[in-house]
Amino acid sequence: MISLEILGEAIRSTIIKAASELPSDVAHAFEKAIENEKSQLAAESLISTFESCKQAREKGGLLCPDTGWPLFFIKIGTNAKIEGGLLELERVAKEKVKECTQKGYLRPTMVHPITRIGKGDNIGDHIPHFTYKFFPGESLEITFVPKGGGSELFGGTRYRVLAPSDIPAGIKKFVIDAYIQAASAGKICPPSIVGVGIGGTSDICMNLAKEAAVLRPIGSHNRDEEIAKLEIELKRAINELGIGPMGIGGSTSVFSVHIEYAYVHTAGLPVAINANCAIARRATVRIRESEFEFLDDPNWFG
Amino acid sequence: MILIGLDRRDYMDLINLNTPLTDEDVRKVKAGDVVYFNGEVWTCRSLLQKKIIDEGFEMPFSTEKRNVLIHMGPIMVKKNEKWTPVSMSPTTSIRFEKWIPETIKRWGLKAIVGKGTVGEKSRAVMKEYNCFHACPIGVYPQKLVDSVIEVVEVHWIEKIGLIEAPWVLRVRDFGPFMVDVDSYGDSYFEKVEDAVEKNKIKAYEMLGIPRNFEYSSLY
Repeated sequence: MISLEILGEAIRSTIIKAASELPSDVAHAFEKAIENEKSQLAAESLISTFESCKQAREKGGLLCPDTGWPLFFIKIGTNAKIEGGLLELERVAKEKVKECTQKGYLRPTMVHPITRIGKGDNIGDHIPHFTYKFFPGESLEITFVPKGGGSELFGGTRYRVLAPSDIPAGIKKFVIDAYIQAASAGKICPPSIVGVGIGGTSDICMNLAKEAAVLRPIGSHNRDEEIAKLEIELKRAINELGIGPMGIGGSTSVFSVHIEYAYVHTAGLPVAINANCAIARRATVRIRESEFEFLDDPNWFG
Repeated sequence: MILIGLDRRDYMDLINLNTPLTDEDVRKVKAGDVVYFNGEVWTCRSLLQKKIIDEGFEMPFSTEKRNVLIHMGPIMVKKNEKWTPVSMSPTTSIRFEKWIPETIKRWGLKAIVGKGTVGEKSRAVMKEYNCFHACPIGVYPQKLVDSVIEVVEVHWIEKIGLIEAPWVLRVRDFGPFMVDVDSYGDSYFEKVEDAVEKNKIKAYEMLGIPRNFEYSSLY
């Protein structure tokens, strides 16, 4: 049985870790990009951002002040038991989002869509958002993603339906053209992690793109060899564009391209992209009985 | 690949600016220069612009001698009764495009800092009113927080919330920010975009996208 006290403590530490500590794969991507950068301004951009991230960790500050949407991705062990029942999970998570917002770990960004006013606690209809998966065992694995507004709102999210005759060139063109527009003048804070969803219905496709962008570590590849090849091919091509970090020109325009697909109606093909910020934030915790530990990889598609 | 920013000549002079800026200060910075601010700057986001420009409210404070605006919603907490910044980084300017020309005229702005760049209308007004736009070259909230000496004033917290409220800050070495649109109407990002357009041909080739590719029209 997972006690509410442990659950609360695990979620609180996960939120704080996500907001103030770069995942190791992202830190490594920064180091590699700094090493490879040919443009001096771009190198200064990457170094200044990476240094700030290190300071945030040391001083308990934030990686980026825009902590965006509070999103929870939760893997529930089929035999996991929580004190008071499963529904307690969402209640505790909301309580911790509120607490972390009041303490300055999350910025109160969530507002009513029309009045534009929020309660200052990041809690509202459908927010925070919860996505669930089941897996064998008795543990809970909770990933918290503060999803930045830049990458989500200013062109980093796109959807289109292709005709079967447009495949595969149409998929590639869609990704390249959308990325150029989105990354221009640094709107989505490149170098991004670009998630690409292929197939399914519109919502399945968008979800896959989002989960590919925010839950797969940099350096991971799709299990399907052909798709993995396409990931590498797209990453190379985007890095040939010279967009650079924050759109100021440079050798690294994208950290990674992650593609996930679903089977699809024979008549057409939905494709979607969702970008994650260069400061790609996430933290994953595994809770079992009265103990919890952090994991580097959410292992979401595993 | 055509790369912009390959060496310092492409982009930068490091310029320290004291606020309020003079017209002479504004004229001396060019697109691609990197600037730091010293003195008072203030923040705003869309709710303030909407209240003042669309809904006709009076500004809650004087913008006289406060001609550097940062598009930013800092995270502030109260420590020992004093507002203290936790984290801050400029936010995307393009979404304020509807209001920027009017804010330059009404508030007498000489510099606006925001992420990314501004649109055509703002660019024209900046040229006419001698104003520039600058953007952060990375994301370094800690550096910016450390540059704040004092939170001078804040208004309308009750009305529009902590993030949207205008914060007047006294800063030292506040930056670096790159001038992306100068008062002569030149744009740094336009140069990058031209290079990217040329590089795109190579990217298409690498991916085997035919030059004459057109999407089938489905809707």
